[in-house]
Parts: sequence; C-alpha cells; structure tokens
Amino acid sequence: MRSSRSLYSLRAIRQSSFTNSSRSLRNAPVARIAPVQTLRHSSSTPNTNTNKTSTSPPPTPPNSSVDPTEVTHFNALASSWWDPHGPSRLLHLMNPLRHTFISRCLNGTPHTSKAPSALPTENKLRYLDIGCGGGIFAESAARLPTTASVTAIDPTPSVLAIAESHKRRDPTLTSPGRLTYLNTSIEHLPIPQKPQEDAYDIVSVFEVLEHVSAPGPFLEMAMKQVKPGGWLVMSTIARTWTSWLVTNVMAEDVLGIVPKGTHEWSKYVNEAELRAWFLERGWGRIGNEMRAQGVMYIPGFGWKEVSGSEEWGNYFFAVRRPVEQ
Amino acid sequence: MPPRFQLGAHRGVSPTNFIIRCRVRPQRRFASSSTETPEIYDVVCVGGGPAGLSLLAGLKASPATNGLKVALIEGQDLQKNRLQKDASLESFSNRCSSLTPASVKNLQEIGAWRHVHASRVQPYQEMQVWDGVSDARISFDWESARTPFIPRKPNQPTTIAYMIENANTTTALLSRLEELGGVDIFSATKVDSIELGTDTQQLDMSSWPIVSLSNGKTLAARLLVGADGANSPVRTFAGIPSRGFDYNRHGVVASLQLTGPGWGGLEHKIAYQRFLPTGPIAMLPLPGNMATLVWSTTPERAAILKSLSSNDFVAMVNAAFRLSTTDLEYLHTLSSGQEEEIAWREKHTPTNERSLPQRVSSVQAGTVASFPLRMRHADTYTGERVALVGDAAHTIHPLAGQGLNQGQGDAAALFRTISHAVSTGQDIGSTLALESYNEERYAENNAMLGVCDKLHRLYSVESGPLVGLRSLGLRAVDAVGPLKGFFMGRAAGGA
Repeated sequence: MRSSRSLYSLRAIRQSSFTNSSRSLRNAPVARIAPVQTLRHSSSTPNTNTNKTSTSPPPTPPNSSVDPTEVTHFNALASSWWDPHGPSRLLHLMNPLRHTFISRCLNGTPHTSKAPSALPTENKLRYLDIGCGGGIFAESAARLPTTASVTAIDPTPSVLAIAESHKRRDPTLTSPGRLTYLNTSIEHLPIPQKPQEDAYDIVSVFEVLEHVSAPGPFLEMAMKQVKPGGWLVMSTIARTWTSWLVTNVMAEDVLGIVPKGTHEWSKYVNEAELRAWFLERGWGRIGNEMRAQGVMYIPGFGWKEVSGSEEWGNYFFAVRRPVEQ
Repeated sequence: MPPRFQLGAHRGVSPTNFIIRCRVRPQRRFASSSTETPEIYDVVCVGGGPAGLSLLAGLKASPATNGLKVALIEGQDLQKNRLQKDASLESFSNRCSSLTPASVKNLQEIGAWRHVHASRVQPYQEMQVWDGVSDARISFDWESARTPFIPRKPNQPTTIAYMIENANTTTALLSRLEELGGVDIFSATKVDSIELGTDTQQLDMSSWPIVSLSNGKTLAARLLVGADGANSPVRTFAGIPSRGFDYNRHGVVASLQLTGPGWGGLEHKIAYQRFLPTGPIAMLPLPGNMATLVWSTTPERAAILKSLSSNDFVAMVNAAFRLSTTDLEYLHTLSSGQEEEIAWREKHTPTNERSLPQRVSSVQAGTVASFPLRMRHADTYTGERVALVGDAAHTIHPLAGQGLNQGQGDAAALFRTISHAVSTGQDIGSTLALESYNEERYAENNAMLGVCDKLHRLYSVESGPLVGLRSLGLRAVDAVGPLKGFFMGRAAGGA
C-alpha cells in the first residue's frame, strides 16, 4: 500500500482506488437520512416479506437498507475481490483481527448457569454474516473448528457469484451446511420465531454500516437474528475531521467535482452513537457486554489494534444480546 | 558476526532421492491419470530432514494446530537411518551440526530435546579462531565477552553451541512424532510427480498441488511444504528460481580420535577454526576424546586428502592447524609419505600447543568424505499452496555452522504462521496467510548468507593490505568484550 494513504480511513482508500465508480456513485441521486437522526428516532418496521430468489437481485422494497448505487459500486469490484494484491488487500489483511476481536468477546463473557444458551464452548457456533461480499470473513469463519455453520448474505449478485466460485476451492467449505450464501438483503431473511433455537450465535456486519441507507432500521433487523446471549459484531469508520476533510471539503467545496451534499461521509457512524443507541434498546448494559476496538493500518506493519482510535478511525464494535431478552 | 564454527550440516546431497518428474509450468490434469481420487491433507511435507520433522513436531505438539491432517513423505527409510539406542561412544557419524541455543530452545519447546541421546551431545564453551596467514587470533567465550566491571549474571549462558550428530537430531524428532501420533508417514516412498488438481463440477482443485507417490497413492495438499533439500522438487514444481554459485570448494569431513579430551578437560570444551587461503579448517569437540573435522578446501586437494592412508591423513590434519600455508601447499603435492615429511617440518616450526587443538591420534574408519560447497537462495520461500524450508530455500557456506540452525528457524517461523492462520480461519495455503513466514525469514537468512559469503572471500586472500586489515579487525573485536558479546549473541541465535 502506498504510504500516502496511511492516515485515511479504509473507506477513503476504497474510494480513491475506484475513482471512476465512486464518481458515478456520488453523482447518483440518493435519498438519505442523517445517521444520527436515524439511529435515535428510527421507528420504521422491517419488511418481513421473504421473497427469496437466490440468483437475481431481490426487488428493493421502499424501506430497504440496500442502497442501489452501492450495489453497482460493488459489482465493479467483484472480479478483483480475492486478488491478494488487488483493491481488497486491506480487507484481507484486516480479517484476522476481526477473529481476534470476536474471540475476545466470547472469552471475556462468563458463561453463568443462569445463561444456558450463552455460547457454551462445547457447542459449535452458528454465524450470520450480513453483507458478506466476496466471502472474506464468511470463509474464514466457516473454516474455524469451533464453527457449526455460516450463513452469508449480500444483495450484490456478482460479488456473491465470486464468493460461490471461490468457496469451491476449499473442500472444507463445501461440506454440506458449512457455508451457505444467499443473494438477499436482511429484510428478506425470515425472523427467527424461537430465537433460542434458530437465531445465530454471532451476527456480523463488517464494513457494511457505512454503505446502508438507514443504519437504525438496518441494525434493528440484524438484532432480531441474534440469539439471546449471542453477539452482534460490526466494524465501520467514525465520522472524523480527516475523512470529512478529504471527502467533503476537498471534493465538494474546493474542487467542486461532486455536487454538494451527496457525500458518503455522512453515512459514517461514531462509536458513541452506537453505544447510546444500543443502550436505549437494553443491549450491552452489563460490564463487558459492549466492546469497541480501534484499528489502524500502518504501512510496513499491517493492521494494528490502537486503543482509543475508535473515536476517529476504523473500529470494531460488538454488543451482546441480553440472555433474558 | 565473527567467524563461527563449522557445522557439518553436510547435506551436500538432498535428503530425499526423488525421481524428478515435476512440471515447472503448472498444467491442468484431465482424465489422463486414472488414479484414485487424491486424499485431502492440510499439510504435506516432502522431506524428513531436521527442518521438515521439526515443523511437523511443532504442528502436532500445539493444541491450535494438532487438528490439521498432516502427511510426511521421505524417499529414504526413516527407520533404517535412526541412531541405535546402544550406539558406541567410540564411534560417531561424520555428519554433525553445531546447534545454537536458539535451536535447542525450539527443540525443547516442541518436546523433542528430551528424546536426544544426551551422552552423544557435546556442548562447547569456547572457540578459538585464527588467521592462517597472519596468526591474528580471536577467542570466544562468554566470560571474556562480558562488559568489564559488571558482574556476571547467574542466568548468563556458558554454552556457545551444542555439537550433535544429525542422526541424533532426526531420531529425536521422529521419536517425538511417534509419541504425538497423527502424522501419516510415507517412508521409503518417492514422489513420482507433482501436478495441479482439476476443476470439477463440485470442487475447484486447480490451485491444489496433487502429489503422486511411488506406492500409487495421491495426496492433495492445502499446503505443500518443500523440506526436500537443495535440489528441491517442490521448489521446481512451484517455479521458484534459486540463485547462487558454487564456491569451487569441497568440505572434507571425518570423525577423529584425539590424544585427550581437550585442554579444558571434559567440562570446558573448545572448538577451533583456522582460516587458510583455500578455506577454513575446523575441529569441533564431541564427547570424550572424539572430535569432528570440517575442512573446506579445493576439490583437487580434497581428492588428495581422501586418497591418503589413515596415518598420512591424520598427519595432514595435525599439520593444517600448525604448519605454514607454504608448507601445506607443498604437502598437497605428494601422493604419500606426508607423515614423515610433516614430522620433520614440525620440528622446525615453533608452536604453542595449548593454543591448538590436541593432536589427532586416529581417524575413524570410513568417515573421510567430502561434499561440494554452494551458496543458493530461492527468490521467495512461498507460492500459492507452497512453502520452502531449510536447504530447499537456502544453502550456505558451512564456515559459521548456521545451515541446520537456519532450517530450524524456518520450521519454527512457518509453524507460527500456520498457527496464526488456523486460529483466524485463514486458508493456510493462501499466499496472504503465508506472507508473514516469508517476511520473517527471508531477510534474516539473506543477511546470514551474505555474511558467511563475505567471510569466505575475505579469508581467501593470501597477501596484501587485506590480510593486515582483517587481522586488525579480528584483534580489535577480540579486545572489546561487549562487542564480542554482541557477535556471540547474534551467532547463538538470540537477540
């Protein structure tokens, strides 16, 4: 990676690597609600219509979390997804840290007798990966010996085709039920009726929050998929002066290459906003059941955990569903 | 880096004698081969030398990685080459190595060190190195290497390195593997071919190496480890070039009996190395009165030495530590009668016997052998689903005794890389997962290869200002304790 990109957020790197597609994306008319508002006052109910067709893109419901321009953007990225030196290299390099973070969440939570469903170590884990892309995280989760199954969903058909094709390269992943890809969005996924049994131990939302139209309703739908005592794990980027300077001031005000007010930057979510939002809904109230970890890419050294950097850069965030909820 | 002692990782020949039919250009195999469906393995290690065995023992000894399905393929019969339990202490293999404390620590960590025949291992506490042209000398021991006025720490090591037969190391590693279990060992089995798999409807194995064995079995490898020596068929399969040159030198080895246990007695063993313009000659201590010889010299002189009678050979070894380079040059022109000639010349050459290795009294029958010295370095240690360790990745001049230790360092680093990949769900054969192994080892090995190469070149010079300069450098390092300590620490494999 070129060192000039070191201080930029991952999001910024992705955009600069794909100037063309990013531009068309920025020029597209996109209706958007400011994330803070959405998070605080969201009242929209998720669409529970389960119209699942696995190959064609699902019809986008009026209140869908899927931003159609994002789908176009990731279609353009699809072919290079698994190239170790391609534009997704930083995501590949970040992936091991996600597992370190999840392990810390699981190990840091005492499995009390009051919480029979709270991820006993002898039971293998069920994962739901929302916005799986080419399957970087989904594949790695499915390979872990502690994993029972991984269900991975993404609304972009071409990236999912890449994921399916790459999965065939590893016999461990093709064993029945180990890793299932669904070309769908979260609102088309059936809501578990008996969360103790059919919900997921770990629901992951990696580098997705900054791509959805309305994070509030999106997260509420994701929460319904989490087993009581299970974890919702995500990663995103804080809205910071660095990312604002690069994407808003430079691109819009100074250079004027992008119409004012169309920027992705406003989709970024800050750690404190997430924290407050989950607390309001009764999640993560006990001790270490809500965690954050800032991570930074340092050229020559790779991704490093940098405590405190969750306030201004890339970060992981995890919250545990209360056992009794 | 000071000149260190020779190991005799005399692995001039590849440990596994393969029938090489590997295809350099990966080709897809269609219905051409009618063999059974390959059995799928996580790690297939080709070559049962110290590096390969050390890697497998590490993988099986660790809870994080012992669930991996692992196979070992070795062309020779592993059981036949084992060191016998009742082996005599009067007889030693001519293939010995100097294990650094770092290598020994690694062998301890993977649980193999307690399986070695301890009575056949000789730690040494001091090294004497001198210039055959100018007689400038440097001595290494932890006592003289310390900083003045700072008292010696109780945990400071006294051992510089451990002399051990290669067979002892591999036998210990095999015993450890048997104790751990879970490795499918194909011994006395050759690799017939390595080809890439095919893309079928269900599975795309086109990135997986498929190894066909002489017993008819085929193995598919998530990660194929080339621990298969300097002529590595795995490296050829991966299309990784290996660059370097031949030194036009041979290493003459032999197991020797000395007139005593050494000037320091049994408790303080000393290794000796004299740099001659044709190459260094080293005498390394073994238990009791035994020692092992590694004499780097021209192929012509090596041939003469190997043709000599026992008495003449013994006389030549004694002379090589004592007589002038002019005398030695003359002695190599005789086809026999060196013993008498040397006896006469030594009378006229004043020596301080206590600064030289004790005299050789006899050479163990059948142990005089030689191997060509080479320098090779693979362009990279990793490819898709391929990793190289040990001599498959690098071949070094033996003057610093680092060859086998580098292989142990490779094995330990590759184990760490695999372990991290497994715990984070990475495909252990992917180039991304293997990157850290290459990063950790390449630069370090390259530096060591370079230093040893430069030392060889520096001491090949017979006259002129370089001789003065190198002698000055040697004396300077010898005079400054902390500087010497730094060199010794690096040579010991520590930080």
